Amino acid sequence: MKFLINPYKFNNFSDTLIKPLLYLSVIFLFLGLIFSFYFSPNDYQQGSTVRIMYVHVPSAWLSLMTYFIMSIYSILALAFRMPFGYIVNSAVAPIGATFTLICIISGSLWGKPMWGTWWVWDARLTSVAVLFVVYLIIIFINLSFENRIVREKVTAIFILIGSINLPIVKFSVDWWNTLHQPATISKLSKPSIDPSMMVPLILMTFAFVFIGICIAIFRIKTEIHNRKNNL
Amino acid sequence: MLILQNVSLNRLNTKIFENISFTLGSGRVLILKGKNGSGKTSLIKTILYLLEPSSGSIYWKGKILPKTIYDFYNNITYIGDRPTSLKQLTIEENIKIWKKISISKIDYEKIRNVLTILKLNNYKNKKVSTLSLGEIKKLELLRLIIENKKYWLLDEPFTNLDLDSIDIIRQTFEEHCKNEGSVLFSSHQDIKFSKYEEIKL
Amino acid sequence: MFEFAKKIINFFYREYKLNLSGFHDILTNITFFFISIFIFIFSIGPDNETLSKLAVGIVWTLLLLSSTLSLRKFYKDDFDSHNLLILHLHGMSFEFIAILKTISHFIYVQIPFLVSIPIACIILNISFDKVYNLLLSFVLGSLILSCLGSISASMNLLNQRNYLLGSVIVMIFSIPVIIFSIGIINLEESFNSLINILIGILLILFSVNPWASGACIKLALQNN
Repeated sequence: MKFLINPYKFNNFSDTLIKPLLYLSVIFLFLGLIFSFYFSPNDYQQGSTVRIMYVHVPSAWLSLMTYFIMSIYSILALAFRMPFGYIVNSAVAPIGATFTLICIISGSLWGKPMWGTWWVWDARLTSVAVLFVVYLIIIFINLSFENRIVREKVTAIFILIGSINLPIVKFSVDWWNTLHQPATISKLSKPSIDPSMMVPLILMTFAFVFIGICIAIFRIKTEIHNRKNNL
Repeated sequence: MLILQNVSLNRLNTKIFENISFTLGSGRVLILKGKNGSGKTSLIKTILYLLEPSSGSIYWKGKILPKTIYDFYNNITYIGDRPTSLKQLTIEENIKIWKKISISKIDYEKIRNVLTILKLNNYKNKKVSTLSLGEIKKLELLRLIIENKKYWLLDEPFTNLDLDSIDIIRQTFEEHCKNEGSVLFSSHQDIKFSKYEEIKL
Repeated sequence: MFEFAKKIINFFYREYKLNLSGFHDILTNITFFFISIFIFIFSIGPDNETLSKLAVGIVWTLLLLSSTLSLRKFYKDDFDSHNLLILHLHGMSFEFIAILKTISHFIYVQIPFLVSIPIACIILNISFDKVYNLLLSFVLGSLILSCLGSISASMNLLNQRNYLLGSVIVMIFSIPVIIFSIGIINLEESFNSLINILIGILLILFSVNPWASGACIKLALQNN
């Protein structure tokens, strides 16, 4: 597992990893799209719009997951002085922002036919919007400092402070009464979702994860190259 | 007694200086010489332990530095390349603030004497923002007298000064060395001291 | 020990001198606050009923905006003139400097706003039994804002291009403060739970602030 904290090992290991990952992401995306469009039933209430879920839910999970990974790498970088954490932070932030944006847009597209509005100010939606702004600020910090050492440390400190938002996003549906429904899939209990919808959801989640990892690997490799040549 | 042993500094994969060793004991003048960008300011920052040396070590009174850092700070006066006087206040208010912050017990008569020597006495109630660059620099050097510490660290103390003032300050340095004090400063001008050592960067 | 207390007192003497000479800055901030209230009234319309409904929200938003205006001065002047380094060389750690600066920002910048709140309440037709709650929530909220301001100002010490970033950072984290403070004002009785939440946020930030600000100040001094 050394390749997760060592830039040189990561560089070598990702070379062997990138091709199967690309194939996997294409296969899963293909399978997931086929399943979600042809082999999954319409909802008896929501009709065909339920298929938005297959984009909305994976991107929401991944937006949180990306931030979680970033905060762990910030701790590694600040407390244990591993510069690879800074590389991951600056490479992964735009990916997380994109996932959050996809989540917000697909959610509001889903909300218009179901709830009657594009947007409501309930706890879940607001906290996700805040998460998106936090991602944007991380990107801005990365863009606006001249000095590299300052830039990466300030970014890491900001990520750690901003991680207060993570539990609020996750548990907002449990803590407050919201229009947004509570989580249907959790570790502890049996999922309250039909297997015919579960299969495409899981396929799409894997597709999103693999696509995200592929882009992250490309961006991290670029970042490592830039640092090597002091760009 | 400040000892540097084989100190070198790397930042962002480029080396800034390498293998600097010297001893700053009492009664000595050390001059850091070097071209622009040769790392004079970085060396002074390393001595102040703002930057950690990438190899080598700094000893203060026989102990390695970060352990005794506040005792070290208690014995030095650092004057940087920027004026620390507050622009919107008068010279007298600035002196009062400096005296309070460094908790110095120096009496006001001595400061007044120095002010007359530096030809700043007439401007005492003027705001710092109306002074010229050289006068601000002279006011800055007044901190050496106010804080009354043994070790003086200065970064480019002679910029913007005229020849008379440079001579006055040179005399002050030599007098300080006679009283068991020691001075370390960086400069690219040639200044004649009776006895000094040079460190080339 | 005695010397240390003397150092703290002298630090506040210095801050007093600094802020007294720049007092017109704070007055300008207060003027900004009042002018934006006027603009709000003109844009909504001077109807008393809608005004008193919106008033508390308006006051809090504008207080937040005008207190972020003064953030650029928080560390910037002292940093550019190397005074932070000189204070550090006189035996204060960066973390301690951050705490002292936060308290002095609260005393010299936020407290003058307290005077202006009752006047704003008169203009905006807020009933007087709410003023006490508004003041209470503002005292707690402005302490929180000082901590946040210290963090964001120290982050942006070496940021020469993007001046607005500091205000954005403060405003994104002040969302929970606003939510709970407005809650305090609108609750008629038993607002103790909300006050406890605010105090909790304050304590968390007060313990995070010296660590984060101190690290950022040190970083900026190293790389300057």
